[in-house]
Order: sequence, then C-alpha cells, then structure tokens
Amino acid sequence: MLQYLFKRLLSIIPVLIGMSLLLFFMLRSLPGDPAQVLAGQMASQEDIQLIRVQLGLDKPVYVQYGKFVINLLKLDLGRSARTQNPVIQEIWARLPNTITLSVVAIVLACLLGIPAGVVSAIRPYTWVDYLVTSTALFGVSMPVFWLGLMLVVVFSVMLGWLPAGGTGGITYLILPSITLAAFVTAFIARMTRASMLESLGQDFVTTARAKGLRENVVIIRHALKNALIPIITVIGLQFGNLLGGAILTETVFAWPGMGRLIVDSILARDYPMIQGSILIFGLLYVLINILVDLLYAFVDPRIRYD
Amino acid sequence: MSGGKYFKKLFVIGVALMAAAMFLGAGPALAEVKVLTIGIGTDADTLNPQEQTTTLIQNMCDLIYDVPFYQDPEGKLHPRLATKTETSADGLTVTVKLREGVKFSDGTPFNADAVKLTWDRILDPKMRVPLRFAVAMVQECVKVDDYTVQLKLKFPFAPLVPALSMTLVSPIAPSAIEKYGEDVRQHPLGAGPYVLSEWVKGDRIVMTRNPDYWGEKPTVEKIVWKIVPEAATREAMLRTGQIDVCYKPMPSSVAALKADQKVTVEMPLDTRTIFMGLNYQKGVTTDKLVRQAFNYAVDKKAIVKKILFDTAEPMDGPVSPKVFGYAKMANQYDYDPEKAKELLKKANFDFNQVVQMRTPNGRYLFDKQVSEAIQAYLQAIGVKTELRTYDWPTYVAGLLKPIAESELEVFLLGWGPLVLDADMGLYGQFHSSVNPPKGLGAAFYNNPEFDKLMEESRQEQDPEKRKALLLKASEMVWDDCPWMWLHVEKFVIAYSSKIKGMVVTPTEKFFPQYITKAK
Repeated sequence: MLQYLFKRLLSIIPVLIGMSLLLFFMLRSLPGDPAQVLAGQMASQEDIQLIRVQLGLDKPVYVQYGKFVINLLKLDLGRSARTQNPVIQEIWARLPNTITLSVVAIVLACLLGIPAGVVSAIRPYTWVDYLVTSTALFGVSMPVFWLGLMLVVVFSVMLGWLPAGGTGGITYLILPSITLAAFVTAFIARMTRASMLESLGQDFVTTARAKGLRENVVIIRHALKNALIPIITVIGLQFGNLLGGAILTETVFAWPGMGRLIVDSILARDYPMIQGSILIFGLLYVLINILVDLLYAFVDPRIRYD
Repeated sequence: MSGGKYFKKLFVIGVALMAAAMFLGAGPALAEVKVLTIGIGTDADTLNPQEQTTTLIQNMCDLIYDVPFYQDPEGKLHPRLATKTETSADGLTVTVKLREGVKFSDGTPFNADAVKLTWDRILDPKMRVPLRFAVAMVQECVKVDDYTVQLKLKFPFAPLVPALSMTLVSPIAPSAIEKYGEDVRQHPLGAGPYVLSEWVKGDRIVMTRNPDYWGEKPTVEKIVWKIVPEAATREAMLRTGQIDVCYKPMPSSVAALKADQKVTVEMPLDTRTIFMGLNYQKGVTTDKLVRQAFNYAVDKKAIVKKILFDTAEPMDGPVSPKVFGYAKMANQYDYDPEKAKELLKKANFDFNQVVQMRTPNGRYLFDKQVSEAIQAYLQAIGVKTELRTYDWPTYVAGLLKPIAESELEVFLLGWGPLVLDADMGLYGQFHSSVNPPKGLGAAFYNNPEFDKLMEESRQEQDPEKRKALLLKASEMVWDDCPWMWLHVEKFVIAYSSKIKGMVVTPTEKFFPQYITKAK
C-alpha cells in the first residue's frame, strides 16, 4: 500500500510539469499585454516598457519558462505582477477559505445526496422517487449565480435570518455552502439512485433477503456498500469541480477565497498569480484523486494495491 | 462588548450630548460614528499613491496620505498639505508653500524633504508611476527651505495647481520608504486623517482615525472597506444593514434603491466621457461628413434612458460639464436618421462596404450593449457593420498600435480626467502628440490648428483667456467629430439614509470622514 502511495505521489511530478508547460504557453498565447494592463490606460510607452522589463516579459518565452521552473523547484511561485506580493502569500491568505467552503459543501452534499438517492432507489417510480429525481434535475440545472442571489433575496433581504455575504461565524457559511452544494447534491443523488438500482438487482441482495436479514441491513450493508464505488468516484471528481464552482459562489457571497483572486488575475493578465493558483488547484485535484483511489480499497476489500 | 454594556454606553453618550446641546443652546450635536462599513467591488493592489490608477483605491490613499490641495465638487481648490502657490512670470517655476507643524502618522515631520523625495520618485524613470504623464511637464522639484519647494517646469502649464490635487502627488513618509522600501505599497504611511490598521486580503481593509491629524478631527472613528465583488450582494448588504455604503450599485437597481426610504442615492455627473472613436486618418471615417452622419444616426438620449437607466447624460460638448473650460456646443447632433442618410449620400458613402466596430466587454457600464445599440442604429440607415467584442487586455493592446498597423475604424472607449479641467480631456485625447503609440488618442485626430490652440491654452495664465481658448478648441473638435459623442457617466453611490454630510465628487471619489449618522 505504502509503495503504491509513493508511486502515486511520484506521478504528481510529471502531471505538474505537463500542467505548468501547458499553462505557461497558453497564457502567453493570449492576446493582451500584462504591462499595458498594469500601467493603465493613460501610461506612456516608456512606463509600459519599464513594467515589461520589471516583469521579465522582455525575455524570450523559453527563458521565462526556465526561470519559472527553477523558481518552482525552490518552491517559489514568484511575485504577483499586480500587487508585487509573493504569490504564495496571496494564495495562502485565501486558500483556507476556499477549502473550508468546499469541504462544508461536499459534506452537506453527501449528507443530503446519498440518503436521497437511496430512498429514491428503494421506492422506484413512486412519488418519492419522482420528487427526488425532479428536485435533482432542478438542482443540476440551476445556475449557481442565480441560486445564490435568490437565497440572498429570501433569507437575507426578506426574512433577515442570515447575512447576505462576508465572513464571520458559522452563519456566514450557510448560504454559500448550500449554493455550492446544490449542484453536487443533485449529482450525487442521481448517481446513488442509479448505482443502488443496479446493486439492488444483484443476486447477493436476493440472497441476503432470503437469509432473512432485515431490509435496512440489506440496503445499507449489502446494497449501498456495493454501490459506493461509483459514488465515491463522483464525489472525488465533484470535489475538484467544487473548487471551480467556488469562483462564482465566492463572488456572490463576498467570500474571500481563491475565486475572485483568479478572476482578477486573469483580467489583469497577472501571469505569476494565475500560474500559481492553477498549479495549486491542479495539485489539490490530483491529491483528491489519489485519496479516492485509496478509499476504494477500504470500501471494496477485493481492491488491493500491493 | 456585550449588548447591555453597549446600550448603557450609548445611553450615557446620548444623555451627555443632549445636555451639552441644551447647555450651549446649539443644534443637534455631531454624532460620532464608531464604525463605517463601505462595500466595494475590488481589493486594493497597492496603497502606494504613485503606483495607483484605480479611482477607488486612490480614494483610500487620499484618506491615508492627504493631498497638497483638495478640489471640491465645484472645482474650487482648498489648501491641505500645501497652503499656497506662486507661478513665475515665465510660467516655468511654481513655488509651493507647505503647511507647517504637520506630522506623518508615525510622528516624523512633514516638510520640504518629504515632498522633494516624493517628487523625485514620481519623476524617476525607473519607478513604476503609470500616471506620470499627468505631471510630465515637471522637470524637477527643488527644496527652497524647510517648508517651501519649487517645481521647475519644462514648459508653462497653466492647470498645474489643480493637478496638485491628484492622489499621484500625495507625499509618502520618508521614514516608511526607508523602513519598507518598495513594500511601502503594503505599509502605507502618510499625513492623512486615517491610518491603515488591518488589511485582510480579499476580505477587508480597515482604517482608524489618525490621532495626530493636523486638520479637523474626523467624526468617523473607523472605516472598514468590505470587499463584496458582486454589486447585487452589495445592495442586499446595504438593505440588511451589513454595510453602510454601497459603492457603485448596478444601474438597473438605482430606481429601486431610490424608492427605498432607508437608502440615499447620490449620482453626480462624472468627468468620464464614453464615446465611439472614429478613425480620423484611416478607413471610411476619414470623411468628416461620414463622421457627422454617424453622430446624427445614433439616439444618445434613448441609449442613456433605455440601456444605462439614466446613470449618464448625453454629451453636449467634447468634455464633461463638470470641468473648467466646458461649454455646451451651439450645434447639437440630435438624433436625425434622415439627415444622417443625406450626409452619407453627399459623401458618396459606399453602402456595400462593411464598417468594422470594436467594443470592450465589461470595462465601462453596459459597454457591449451600448455598442450593439449603435450597431443597430447604423444598420437602420443602411450602413453594414461588423461588431467584435474583446476583453479589456486584448482590446487595449489593439488601441495602441500606430496608424500604419491600426485596424480601428469605429470603437468604444472611455476617458476620465483626474482633475476638473478640460486640458486632460481635450489635450489628452485630441492633440496629435497623443496619437498611438505615444498616447491613447486612438481616434488619430490630427489638426494643427487645434494643436496650436491647446498649446496656447497651456501657457495662458489668465483663467478667462484660457477658458476662451479651450472653448475655441472645443468647438473645432466638436465640429470635426473624431468621436461619436455619446455620454458622460454619473458616479452612483448609495448609503444608509441615516448618514448625513457625505461628500461625493465628480472624479468618482467620496469623503466620509466628516459624516454624521442618526441613531
């Protein structure tokens, strides 16, 4: 197992190299001059050139990449072109907020989505099933931005129960995490339902029932446990998507996470900041995937990594 | 502080204030504001006034550093860190007297050395000073005595004193530069009414009252700039009382906010003009008749009303009515599609050609929608057009190409002078020296007669004579139509109706330090 984990961790390196290459050259192929954006609309050509030199953009792209990789090996992501602060410092100030929001949202999504999917699967084609599937369809189809604003209108402006945005106590987390969790909850519920339906039709479920096991034991210990593999896969993938979805949610709820930082950096063509943020997101995504693979072994004893 | 204690304290303060008012026989006493929370859309990148180009962040810098002169909403200059100026007969030396007895917030003295250091940094070509062009006429700053400096100019520049109200020339404490180097942008230290006390990236910037401020003591003890990127959320937070001030709410919400008795909306006319540049030197728009026809073809009043929700006013002169040197032009290009068609016919316009239009998306209020409306108006008079939309970085790169490489024909842009003077509007966009790539006069207007008038206006020290020159230049460019004259934006700000005394300026700034707030 440890050997497998080590191998998987090593495999992150080529992934990051590939990502950094793609990211670096894609960013530089975008039209628009970061020095011009930073200098502002009224700056002179001399001032724009000065900024270009300060940012190292006057050097050939391969030289810039070489410097970037060398710095990366020293765990130095450079300085933001916009704020001149170390990129890592800017990210560190915001990443914990994004992770907090994403974790709360995924936990909420699991707590709601898995039971909803199970209930729907054990009563297929009844009103309960229709209610769950149509709510899930609604959840999947709803734009995050719209849902967020609607929740603000109802729960903050009209009812005055919850803050409309910002950070503070746990009350500030409720609306953004519900918004972020909506899509994933619906997705998990649909996947759980499909996976459970398949599982419930298997011979071992019939055997368990024939043995006289109680129905909830049959469903939870036998059917659900066997249905978990695709559900875990979906949760892992969706967690990655949550990080992306957080961009919109954070904007709506003034949540000081990575979302707005990335948007502002893209608009300002702040190359070091975009590179740093995306690399960190990529790293998180890969780590989550490794974690999901490890979880498989716990859920299904047939899977061994020795 | 617990609720009980808080109310007890409020009660005691209230009783004390009432007693004081009765004793003095005066009106209601000024209510101190403990915390004022302002919802804004973006975090600061730098709090170094010499590096800053965003008006909102310059606004913050003004509160931390203060300025040599303050230009009020009517354009009148008030002495702040500088007390008076004197311009030499040849217009090449401006002597600036500094206020004595002022200290930076760390206790170090504000004097000529500090001012000279700031100017040396502004003029140093190795320093990142994006707005340097606005003081490019200054050759050097010379210390005369501890409280006097002289600005030596390369050429006479009549509107120099208003330029001393720009955030750009706010002095930074030399001690801070010595301590932090260029990181002073994260550790601002000035002689203004507030000091930076906390900066939580992406979340809030907190300022507290500077106890040693030289001027009148601010009534607001603490200002929290809360970063709320989404305008709809800022509005919701204002309505729920989470914030006291909402910076730039959505134009579409202005009517609803105005109808809310708990909210005050201010929307003074701004200095920023929004226009469609018409290439003066290349393509179909080189013909003056075509440029004028395009101006008649568009219903600017309808655009302002239907697209911008009245958060702008149609232009009736080449600069905003808020600046010195503005005059309403005698001939107005009111919507007249028949006249537009007539002019195009007279110009032998080829209706089979496709006119290329460009617009940024999201840079200015409803920029893309305004461009689409203009496209529809042009098509209504038979002009075929193709509209391309770009994000700002891509767009601005295309604007700066020299005429030989420029692909611009008809393009949307905005221009917001930093001081209330027509020079930056007229010279900054229409003098031939600002044609790209040297400047952002992307319409490539080139009229030697206009250039001469503008150069004369810069040398003219008599305000009335200068005004006459600016008027003549305005009339000339207005008739030549290097722009489709669209609209002047309004600066919209909404705040709790409990707040009184907010100062809102046409340069998109607001000063809350002397407000009062009803309980």
